[in-house]
Amino acid sequence: MDFLITHITEYSYNEPVVFCHNIATIKPRVSAGQTILEYAIDIAPQPTQFSERSDFFGNNITRFSIEKEHEKLTVVSKCKIKRDYTAIKDSFFSKKCTAITLENALETLNLNAPNNFDSKQFILDSILIRNSKPNIKAYALASFKPNRSVFEATNELMQRIYTDFKFVSGFTSVSTPLDVVMEEKKGVCQDFAQVAIACLRSVGLPGRYISGYIETLPPPGKPKLVGADASHAWFAVFIPGFGWVDFDPTNNKIPENQHIVVGWGRDYYDVPPLKGVVYSSGRSSLKVSVDIKALGN
Amino acid sequence: MNAEVESLTDTYFNSDAYDEMFEPDMTIKAPWNNFYQNFKDLGCDELISRQKEIDWNLSENGITYNVYNDPNGLNRPWNLNIIPFIMHKKEWEEVERGLKQRVHLLDLVVKDIYGERQLLKKGILPHEVIFGHRGFLRQCDGISLNTEKYLSVYAADLSRGPDGRMWMVNDRVQTPSGMGYSLENRTVISSVLPQIYKQNAITDQDGFFNNFNQLLVDAAPNKIQNPNIVVLTPGPHNETYFEHAYLASYFGYPLVRGSDLLVRDGKLWMKSLKALKQIDVVYRRVDDIFVDPLELREDSYLGVAGLLDVVRRKNVSIVNPVGVGVIENSGLIPFMPAIAKFFLDEKLILPQIATWWCGQKKELDHVIANISKLVIKRIDRSSRETIVFTEFLSPEALEALILKIKNKPHLYVAQEKITFSTAPNFTKGKLEPRNMVCRAFAIANKDHYDIMSGGLVRVSSTEDVRVSNQRGGTSKDFCIIDETYKKTRKSNYFNSFSSNATELSDLPSLTAENLYWAGRYVGRALITSRHLRTVLKEVANSDTAIDLKADNKITTLLQTITQLTNAYPGFIGSKGEPMVSDVKKELIALVVDKTKSGSLAHTISMFSNSYYSIRNLWSTDMWRVFDSIHKLWNPILKEATDNLSYKRIIKVLDQLITRIIAFMGLIEESILVEQGLLLYFIGLNLERAILNTTSYQSMLTIATEEHVEYEILEAMLHSHESLNIYRYSYRSHINIESVLSLVLLNTKYARSLTFLVGRLKKDISRLPHSKIDAGLQDYEKAIFEAYSKLRLSSTQTLALVSEEQTQERVALETLLTELKALFYDTTKAIADTYFNHSKDQNQLTLQNFS
Repeated sequence: MDFLITHITEYSYNEPVVFCHNIATIKPRVSAGQTILEYAIDIAPQPTQFSERSDFFGNNITRFSIEKEHEKLTVVSKCKIKRDYTAIKDSFFSKKCTAITLENALETLNLNAPNNFDSKQFILDSILIRNSKPNIKAYALASFKPNRSVFEATNELMQRIYTDFKFVSGFTSVSTPLDVVMEEKKGVCQDFAQVAIACLRSVGLPGRYISGYIETLPPPGKPKLVGADASHAWFAVFIPGFGWVDFDPTNNKIPENQHIVVGWGRDYYDVPPLKGVVYSSGRSSLKVSVDIKALGN
Repeated sequence: MNAEVESLTDTYFNSDAYDEMFEPDMTIKAPWNNFYQNFKDLGCDELISRQKEIDWNLSENGITYNVYNDPNGLNRPWNLNIIPFIMHKKEWEEVERGLKQRVHLLDLVVKDIYGERQLLKKGILPHEVIFGHRGFLRQCDGISLNTEKYLSVYAADLSRGPDGRMWMVNDRVQTPSGMGYSLENRTVISSVLPQIYKQNAITDQDGFFNNFNQLLVDAAPNKIQNPNIVVLTPGPHNETYFEHAYLASYFGYPLVRGSDLLVRDGKLWMKSLKALKQIDVVYRRVDDIFVDPLELREDSYLGVAGLLDVVRRKNVSIVNPVGVGVIENSGLIPFMPAIAKFFLDEKLILPQIATWWCGQKKELDHVIANISKLVIKRIDRSSRETIVFTEFLSPEALEALILKIKNKPHLYVAQEKITFSTAPNFTKGKLEPRNMVCRAFAIANKDHYDIMSGGLVRVSSTEDVRVSNQRGGTSKDFCIIDETYKKTRKSNYFNSFSSNATELSDLPSLTAENLYWAGRYVGRALITSRHLRTVLKEVANSDTAIDLKADNKITTLLQTITQLTNAYPGFIGSKGEPMVSDVKKELIALVVDKTKSGSLAHTISMFSNSYYSIRNLWSTDMWRVFDSIHKLWNPILKEATDNLSYKRIIKVLDQLITRIIAFMGLIEESILVEQGLLLYFIGLNLERAILNTTSYQSMLTIATEEHVEYEILEAMLHSHESLNIYRYSYRSHINIESVLSLVLLNTKYARSLTFLVGRLKKDISRLPHSKIDAGLQDYEKAIFEAYSKLRLSSTQTLALVSEEQTQERVALETLLTELKALFYDTTKAIADTYFNHSKDQNQLTLQNFS
């Protein structure tokens, strides 16, 4: 399936900004089941400095600076992408994946095979997911048992988060601590993904945060609204002996073609779509719109 | 041996610990023999007096360090004990070899961690030791440098173990401190003990600092000639701010803070008085995570947004590079032998403390089983404050600790508890054994490392075995003795550092601003204290109770002090608030109440702040005078205000005024105009112009009965320090016309307003943006107008009482009001043009997902 994604981020400032330095993690990465056909980024005002590089996790990082006075910053990223994830998704349900129990998994991880560290680093604390309280582990242990399949347990964890947590937009922000989300059982996709990752890590499994988009389908019979799609986040677990398997706790779904990957890291902090330092005495307001157009096969 | 000398050591109790100087039977160890004899020959009294001399020297030179979280912790005097720590060259050579090996290894480790990660791939080092350490900055992965070495500067803490060998204790690489203190220690102690230092063959450290300077020069991108180098400090509150300023002035590089720098066009720039100046090398004393709020800690105001990207483009070199903090890592210790074998196929030369990394099952079990005998540390916090000595823990606390370790075992190491050696410290007329830690320093020199000969030794305060300046220990000079050493008379190093002559336009704007404010506060302190002195004398001599409603000299003087200090309601009253009733209380508060804005105490503390912020500019003599101001001033602030008498305050003010004047005299000859003296003068004279105008306005614009006016004029001249000049110049009865011509309109008299404004006009025209051929800048216009107004005035018109009812001299009042407004315009225009480069640094709000 091919998609055309238009992601518009707009900052308006009530006082002029003298200059700003920004980092965007907005250009989708090439990954399993995903090919980038076309990509363009359009920044207004025209940046004085612009460069792209790949970060520690292999994500595409765009760095730019605007060095003249401006009152508005607009970043438009357009990407044509091919998603072919069906076979990969199907493989998650194969014996090769589902047969691996937690006990097997931890054993393999603990072998300390030196090259394991690329995935094992996702067990460690990260900036936003750290010092998890015992209630996280308790929540995880309800699904994770030594003899149970990691895939099944994670699948159940996803379902439980979907059921137990209420989707409330605006209750949390990116700086809301995980404890609050866990206590209030409210939040948005990034919170649910991070709760799941904290649970995985609490039982010794690598969990990774995935930032991307999701195509939303209109209710039957209604036309699709432009801009109704969204930036999205979900998680993946590393099943040693098999590989990374994704789960979307917000939609209680194993991602397929509608889930478009931009990048991944240990948590939101590693892959914010846009961040920056501006020099101004005023405040800013933010408007984001995402539009995903399915182009067919 | 006389009795006095015996008493030096008769209480020297040395338990089983290894002592540096004494054998267990109290005989002296070989390398110390000469030294000990020298000290014995000096005798106890002389030692006490030389120790005092050291203390004085350090205090007068302004050698300080700061203690965090302690209200009295700022600018504590640095302590140096008269007894140095000495080591023989033979032993030192081995230590040196060990240090060279270690820094070389650590350089390879950090290069590997941010590069190929062979150590992890080959399983030599478990990845948690690196990836679990908060100092591992993924943002720094794969950055290539302008320098051959990753580690340019390195410090190691060493202690002597029970086996008599020097052991490695800590590695310091982010912002290794102590070099400046070592240098100053050596300078001070060798001047206090010149004979002893000459007789014993002590090796020099000068060469090390020459090489350090060369290292900074060579670090420049593309090896450009005469690179622009700055020293980046977190600011005056940092623990070792003294050293940042000290090294900046020693090397002759600007001392800057994050807000002095900015990133544009992919390069790093310093905001200087005139324009932006490109910076090639940053010797930074700011910790890794604070250097770039764009990529690292967002809430940091100590760094520069976008700096890491400039590093990636190789347009600037940071010494040491950002990210090295990951090897301040006690988790590395158990793996160092394997790392040494892997990289160099060598054995470690310097022994390390036995260390168990809890990330491995076997080690964890051992640690838990033996926990009460061990010392627990987090791998990423090596400060001595965060080490857990398990023997001091309650059973519950120990249980909690075990739980914490089991929960995140890879974050902890346990170390064997070791009693380190003691060294003799001279305290209260005796030698006492104190635990000690040596800090040694290395710098990269092309493809190898140089080790400073000796370094810094710190010893514990009496009881505490934990040695740290934060806990109030003291320091020692660390000398290496080498009988074969020949002092080579090196060319004076100052000649070799003439990298680039500075101009006024290159002055960092924050420095310029601090100098300007130093000038303004000095001016304010001087005028306020002179006026206060006059007022206090009058009040103290007044026989009758003071009636604030009466129209006389004393009330006029009191009201003037309220206007000068802007401390309303004061003796005037303000909207909604009546004037104060307790004259003495208010006057004393105006002198000693630091919290009262406008008070003399407040002004002096503001002055001290700006003074410390630019401490790299001050000469030793200035420190001496500055110190004398504090020694005079601080005691009075601590006294109970009820006990303060007018007489006592007047006496202090007399001395204070003299010292401020001495300070002002010294500034003029200690700092060059290019270094910013001009800004100081502009600040000073603007403040004087503003305050003098205020005082004239308060004292001269209303005519009163002749005898009262006479008294007021006399008091005004007195406070203005112009009474003698007046008498000399006019030889007449004091009258308003003559007073006005002297203090307002005289063009030759240095204290007259016209003279001050003329001087300001000239100084301001020398600022970098002033042009000689293209009309006046905004900040020049106001002062030009003020000057013209003064020159166009005449005493006859000004002295005229034109308002019968109020007895007001309207022309004078109008002129003074206009002048004051113009002076304020000038201060604003100068600030806008020269100081206000930077807008607030803000983070963009982040996108919240749905």
